[in-house]
Amino acid sequence: MKKLLALVLATTLTAASLAGCGGGASNDAPAAATEASGGGTAAAAPAAADGSLQLAVTTGDGSTSDDRIPTPWYNRILATNLMFRGLFLADSTLTEVEPDLAETYEVSDDGLVYTITLKDGLKWSDGEAITVDDVQWSIETALEAAQINSIYTAAFKAIDSIATDGNTITLTLAEPYAAMLDVLAQFAILPKHSLENADPLKLESDPFWTAPVTSGMYALDELNVGNYFTLKVNENYEGQAPKIEKVTCYFVSDYVTAAQAGNTDYVYGNAADLVEALQGMDNFSAHEVDVLFYKYFIFNMKGIDGNENPAMQNVEVRKAIIEAIDRATLATLYPTANVLNSGVPNSDEAYNGFEYTFDAEKAKADIAASGYDMSRTLKICYYNNDQTSIDLINTVVYYLQQIGLTVEATLSNDGTTDLFTTRDYDIGFKGKSSFSIDEWYTEYMSTDGLFANIFGGDTSFDALVADLSKAVDKEDRNAVLTELQALEQEKVYKVPVFTVGTYVFTSNRVNIPEGVEFCNPLYMCDLDFENWELAQ
Amino acid sequence: MSNPAASIKEQNKSAASSLLRRNVRKFMNNKLALLGLVVVVAITIACIVGFIAGVDFNTPVLPDMKKPPSSVHLFGTDTIGRDLFARVLVGGCYSILIGVFCAVMSSVIGAALGAIAGYFGGKTDTILIRISEVFQAFPQLVLVMMLVAIVNKRGLGNLLFIFVFTGWMTTFRMVRNEFMSIKGETYVKVCEAFGMSKNNIMFKQILPNVMSPIIVSTTTNVAFFILQEASLSFIGLGVADTTPTWGNILNAAKSVSVVTNQWWIWLFPGLAITLFVLAINFLGDGLRDVLDAKQQ
Amino acid sequence: MLKFIIKKLLMMIPMLLLISFIVYFGLQMTGIDPINFMVSPEMLSANKENVEALRESLGLNDPLIIQYFRWLGNCLRGDLGYSFDGSSIASIIKVRLPYTFELAGYSLVLSAIIGIGIGIISAVRQNGVIDYVGRVLAVLGQAVPQFLVGIILIQIFSIKLGWFPSANRVSPDATNAFVDAFVHLFLPVLTLTIGMVAVLMRYARNTMLDVLNSDYIKTARSKGIPEWKVYLKHGFRNAMKPVLVILVFRIPMLVGGSVVIESVFSYPGIGLTMTNAIVSGDYPIVLVTTLIIAAAMLICSFMVDVFNALLDPRVRLGE
Repeated sequence: MKKLLALVLATTLTAASLAGCGGGASNDAPAAATEASGGGTAAAAPAAADGSLQLAVTTGDGSTSDDRIPTPWYNRILATNLMFRGLFLADSTLTEVEPDLAETYEVSDDGLVYTITLKDGLKWSDGEAITVDDVQWSIETALEAAQINSIYTAAFKAIDSIATDGNTITLTLAEPYAAMLDVLAQFAILPKHSLENADPLKLESDPFWTAPVTSGMYALDELNVGNYFTLKVNENYEGQAPKIEKVTCYFVSDYVTAAQAGNTDYVYGNAADLVEALQGMDNFSAHEVDVLFYKYFIFNMKGIDGNENPAMQNVEVRKAIIEAIDRATLATLYPTANVLNSGVPNSDEAYNGFEYTFDAEKAKADIAASGYDMSRTLKICYYNNDQTSIDLINTVVYYLQQIGLTVEATLSNDGTTDLFTTRDYDIGFKGKSSFSIDEWYTEYMSTDGLFANIFGGDTSFDALVADLSKAVDKEDRNAVLTELQALEQEKVYKVPVFTVGTYVFTSNRVNIPEGVEFCNPLYMCDLDFENWELAQ
Repeated sequence: MSNPAASIKEQNKSAASSLLRRNVRKFMNNKLALLGLVVVVAITIACIVGFIAGVDFNTPVLPDMKKPPSSVHLFGTDTIGRDLFARVLVGGCYSILIGVFCAVMSSVIGAALGAIAGYFGGKTDTILIRISEVFQAFPQLVLVMMLVAIVNKRGLGNLLFIFVFTGWMTTFRMVRNEFMSIKGETYVKVCEAFGMSKNNIMFKQILPNVMSPIIVSTTTNVAFFILQEASLSFIGLGVADTTPTWGNILNAAKSVSVVTNQWWIWLFPGLAITLFVLAINFLGDGLRDVLDAKQQ
Repeated sequence: MLKFIIKKLLMMIPMLLLISFIVYFGLQMTGIDPINFMVSPEMLSANKENVEALRESLGLNDPLIIQYFRWLGNCLRGDLGYSFDGSSIASIIKVRLPYTFELAGYSLVLSAIIGIGIGIISAVRQNGVIDYVGRVLAVLGQAVPQFLVGIILIQIFSIKLGWFPSANRVSPDATNAFVDAFVHLFLPVLTLTIGMVAVLMRYARNTMLDVLNSDYIKTARSKGIPEWKVYLKHGFRNAMKPVLVILVFRIPMLVGGSVVIESVFSYPGIGLTMTNAIVSGDYPIVLVTTLIIAAAMLICSFMVDVFNALLDPRVRLGE
């Protein structure tokens, strides 16, 4: 027994002496860091300050996991944009495209046939050829994939048939889809030869993502689970090789801390605290990006199964609730937020001029007149867990309490499920980084996989939205938008609060070539990345 | 016949009161403990007075957000312009309520189960010990999450329940061990021989003898639960944000820009927690010195 | 003694089973449908037959009790299953668990050295400067919420001074694995240590005081043994036994603390995995991590029992 005790003591002591050695090593670490930083800024980079661009991927929100590369089919973030390309490459407006994997393309006059020819001799990072089969497989699989951005499914549903011939692929549409090229410019083509046996429902979790085969400038060098992944230049990339030879992407839980600790050279976001913190750092420069990031309320009306939420059926109740909320004041929570009254921004020429005005007294009277049961608890459901969203919801709760409602706000851990499947709420608060105005309106479609579950599959928007996606000409488009705005303001199923300005921040460790304009950071556009350089 | 009996009672009473007097004197001499008591009482009274007076902790004034401390807002305002002083006061009420309620309830449960296990011993004891070990091994976080998911609400009730449910084991073990050693003593045997009911022996005869350590551990548990609430809020599993607690208010420290630019938003609730917990710990130490029979 | 140890070890099996049973059914009661995680709501409404087939193939239509035993059987065969987002849980654990062991282990050692060290000095120089300052600092460290300590340390040491990284456990181009480990572990270990030192210090101080006032120390002194030898050889050795027990007793607290601290420092251990899984509702991971933490706790209390039995043969089962 004594021996056992002695053994334990001995182990403790050994460990203690180990820690003691650690103490000795501490003298070196800070010195190395000071040497490496050299830039004179307080925020020194303790690691990876050699020729490596640093990025950060957040894992705190539960949408990405830190043991693989995130799929490019959901959000297009910079790290995956460097690895995966589409047929086309968009500019910063996301609506003008240049061929990328494609060599040439042709669209028939009726907008129904897209003939796209791939460049010759394209290769994946593993040396296999990039072929039209990869393109066909990617489009077909996207329609079956479980985790995918709805812009792809919405567009690809319009495709009637796909034909391939040599290096040419022909997409034949059932009806015109105005944004098809723009969507194809976002859509990452994935290697069929590595993924064809994967289950489309679980594509994003396939082991492929721990060692992906890529088509972009970079290929994966090393993935260290829970810590980082690094990228090296893809030798099989046919274009100009990037000047930055190495990219390191850390898995972090907080972007601001990562930026302040010198662990990332590129950060984006729209939350007030992030923007404020980064604007306060003199080694980061801000790029304001024009994006349609909607923040909006949705009303839980009726399930597709016909299961109604009786309290919200009266449109007067919904209007009174919106009247009670001072959206202009809420907008001050964000660095830049523009209040809007429909899917169309107030500054857009198609805006119809209608306004949801704030009037607490009138709201009080209206809610009383509507016959709403004041004793019931109004439930708000939201899922963004950043401080600004929490602040916003707390303020909304206060506004609604002021007109005499009993309100309860729940922070959901799984927004999509709680908003569209569990549906135990009256008002939902949502954000959407929208590709275009069209995306706002397709949410009203009775066939929309998500919103049909809360708008009860109401078909009144369908025809107009279909017209919108077909409208190629500006005037037609504006006419349809005017009608859609009138309809949505009459139905009051969802009410926009504002669009929030998004910022991209880059550190002074990186020199960005003249004329680069950043686009919505969740999509992909031409950033002239091959000419980015690390500052010496 | 009644006279001598009465005088014995009297004697006991006066002996007890002199013991009490001695203890009070001893406590008063312990400066740190006294300070602790004063701080605990002062904070608690301030919070309750603030709560009853109905300070406005809930009105967001967005144009006034993130204002540093001034004569209008003693502690400044938070990220949506609510008065932080009022929030810290009201938050204190909730946090202290959580601490006190959970500490008292878990002590009551722990003491009752401990008494049963210690007194009866054998199978009962073994089973209760196993149950306590299972509870001890169970990560609290998982229980909170399951409960939040099941009732679909992050309420105050949830938290109170979980804390009591998972917090009784230390008191249980302590009381059980004390019972184990006391039950062999002569006076217990005498009581048994007199045919006193087991309830009576356990709770009226033995339990008063182990009250001191229970009081001490209850006191320090108040601090423990307050800290625990703050941690849970930090992970996002605490009470819903609409109820201010010190933990919820301190949550603002999650945002790095608040930590660097608006020190008052996290410093005051942080100070409130630290001060209260510190005071409680000093008080607990003082009580231990006074009540610990072994030191007398 | 061997019998006692074996009996104790065997007792852990039914307890772990009970815990797994409670968590399994508790998680089922939350009514969260794994299908919702694997399939987007769009697919759910569009592709009912496929979803039903998936459900059947996953065995989600079987009675709960059968699902439980199937899961248990797989676990015993070493197949811990897959998280909702498709990663193998065994591989997650294999990477994360050593990280947490490192964090908890170093914190334990560091807090033991500091806590016991100050405790002994305090006892030897009772009411001296070190005694006073050490006690105040230790108590203060215990009173500040741990995550706040972590946040403040990050602010000072990784943002203002830039000495240590604020997140992760490994950096990509570390030339020296030891230095790399040191810089990443320093702040989280320090945070956990700050919270632990107070209890250890107080305990070490009290036991040391008891020992120093005991008769045999007085005897040793009267024999003319040098003062430092008295402290070290007789005092320290005797005072350490109960302190060791309290040290083991602190491990569960460390495990609990590391859950919060790992998320403050984005430290990729089992605690962060569990918090993320809880927040995103990934129940297969919650289940396994819960069991691992429970097992760690049970092993600690087993060790306490064994120590107690070693130190005091009178101790009965369960003490």
